[in-house]
Amino acid sequence: MATMLLLTLHAFAQEDASAQLSTVNSQLNKEVLHSTMIGVGSSNVLDTYLSSYNYTGTDYRIQRETMRMTNLWKGRVANQSLIDVNADINENHAGNLDEYAGGVRYTQGWFYNFMNGNVVNPVERSHSRFNFAAGLSASGYLGVVYISRSGNNPAQAKADLMVNVSGMATYDMVIAKHHYLWRYQVSFPLMGIAFSPNYGQSYYEAFVAEHYDHNVVFAYPGNMPSMRHKLTLDIPIKRYTLRVGYVGEFHQSMFNHLKYHSYAHDFMIGFNKYLYRR
Amino acid sequence: MKNIRSLFILLLTLLTLHSCVKEDYFDNTKQGNYEALWRIMNEHYCFFDYKKEELGVDWDEIHARYAYQINEKMTKAQLFEVLCNMLSELKDGHVNLSAAFDFGRNWSFFENYPENYNDSIAKLYLGHNYHIASGLKYIILDDNIGYVRCESFEEGIGDGNVSVMLQSMAMCSGLIIDVRGNGGGQLTKARKLASHFTNERLLVGYISHKTGKGRNDFSTPKAEYLDPASDGIRWQKPVVVLTNRAVYSAANDFIKCMKLCPNVTIMGDRTGGGSGMPFNNELPNGWTVRYSAVVYYDKDMQHTEFGIEPDVPLSLSGEDIAQKKDTYIEKARDYLSKSK
Repeated sequence: MATMLLLTLHAFAQEDASAQLSTVNSQLNKEVLHSTMIGVGSSNVLDTYLSSYNYTGTDYRIQRETMRMTNLWKGRVANQSLIDVNADINENHAGNLDEYAGGVRYTQGWFYNFMNGNVVNPVERSHSRFNFAAGLSASGYLGVVYISRSGNNPAQAKADLMVNVSGMATYDMVIAKHHYLWRYQVSFPLMGIAFSPNYGQSYYEAFVAEHYDHNVVFAYPGNMPSMRHKLTLDIPIKRYTLRVGYVGEFHQSMFNHLKYHSYAHDFMIGFNKYLYRR
Repeated sequence: MKNIRSLFILLLTLLTLHSCVKEDYFDNTKQGNYEALWRIMNEHYCFFDYKKEELGVDWDEIHARYAYQINEKMTKAQLFEVLCNMLSELKDGHVNLSAAFDFGRNWSFFENYPENYNDSIAKLYLGHNYHIASGLKYIILDDNIGYVRCESFEEGIGDGNVSVMLQSMAMCSGLIIDVRGNGGGQLTKARKLASHFTNERLLVGYISHKTGKGRNDFSTPKAEYLDPASDGIRWQKPVVVLTNRAVYSAANDFIKCMKLCPNVTIMGDRTGGGSGMPFNNELPNGWTVRYSAVVYYDKDMQHTEFGIEPDVPLSLSGEDIAQKKDTYIEKARDYLSKSK
């Protein structure tokens, strides 16, 4: 799958290489977009190591995103770093048990801009209203799911290191000479490694007795069919830009016969700003 | 535009490849909760083969037998009773059903046997001037024998606590560790205490967990060792450990380890057992079910689920009780005096 994707991207690059490229402005590459958003929404978590049933409730989220153009591929590659922190407070169907879940994901991605576009600052740096980019990213996640009952399986650790494929599109909507920028991004984990206890393995056995049993598993869409969506609208307000949007996180896995999913739909709000690096 | 179309086709393909990972849904009805409980046990419980061998438990036959007792008109209490009766067939103290109004259990492992422990008499030996090191109550008896009362392994027993205790009894000719009634707690704490009674690394057993939903899906048993305490004092003199039928779970594991340590004699009644590490799950109506999920074997790959035999069997005598004497402690003192 990854090879197919890289070949596709390479084909795009070769095709576009024949077109005349605009001169790379080194100042352009020093332009950095910072965005910070907070959000709240719904959460739905299933972890059959802990319980056979879903827990639902509220998801709280903070995202810190940085984007800039790089000199890679004649200046057509944008770099994105994203820190995503979320915390869930859920309860079971019966409402008699609480669950606390959350984690931190750090992602570094590189996006090839098609049609001389610029997804970092499309309003000022692109000739087209529409801009598209696609690329690969590497991400690392650390998290935990905890259910408020005693026992030898009250909590579950979550960890993965993944290579993801991601696509991004922007649309510059002009109303009364004001630019409103729509931005949509979708990401899919392609392959990587993830931690999981075995089906009935206790954490005592895995970490105290050090009896490892398929605790590091190869992850791919067949056993980790996950995706992340993000749709935002940038609204200029004087010197600042307000960013509102939606984040949809759909993480799923089936390792060692253990089912897991964590679905979150969040309304996000924050600010973004362009800065210039020296 | 051709490129972008291709890109969208690629992303759309990835999107459609994704299927949902869902819960195995059961209705929150009487029948739904019954089926959910049976299935949780069927897929997770670790002693079906052993219980079939020892007790003739046939989990499929049990499903058919108890399904007739379930109907939607029954009350919550009636459903709870039927579910508990079904679980009781396993005769496992680690199998419980918890609701807000009751706690389902099968404690026949000690309720069907003499207690062999009289709390008020045992307290006479401790008196009022005993010391407490992280839950371990200890005192030196008149005949220069140390007496340690360990009621539970719930508290955080550390090398420091044990060493301070052993240091204060260093001049004693022997040591009695009384774990009667100890229903368990943290396995690591039980092993921590036991580690102060060996100078060598000991093979104490094997551990195996389930690797799938099948009743015979188990990992290859892996050896477990008791390492001698690396910090503090290691006891070198004779030790007697007192047990009864209420010694269960982590305390049962403590006896399993201590029985292999040099200079240690196990005296009393057979232990209660409980060699499975319990996990929790829940039913659609929110009731919590606990079950044995991980198997602990002894060093000969034998189950200790139904207890461990003592080296010296004892019973509390009525005559001693009348004289406010604890037969177990007295016999242990005699034994240690002769071991000098």
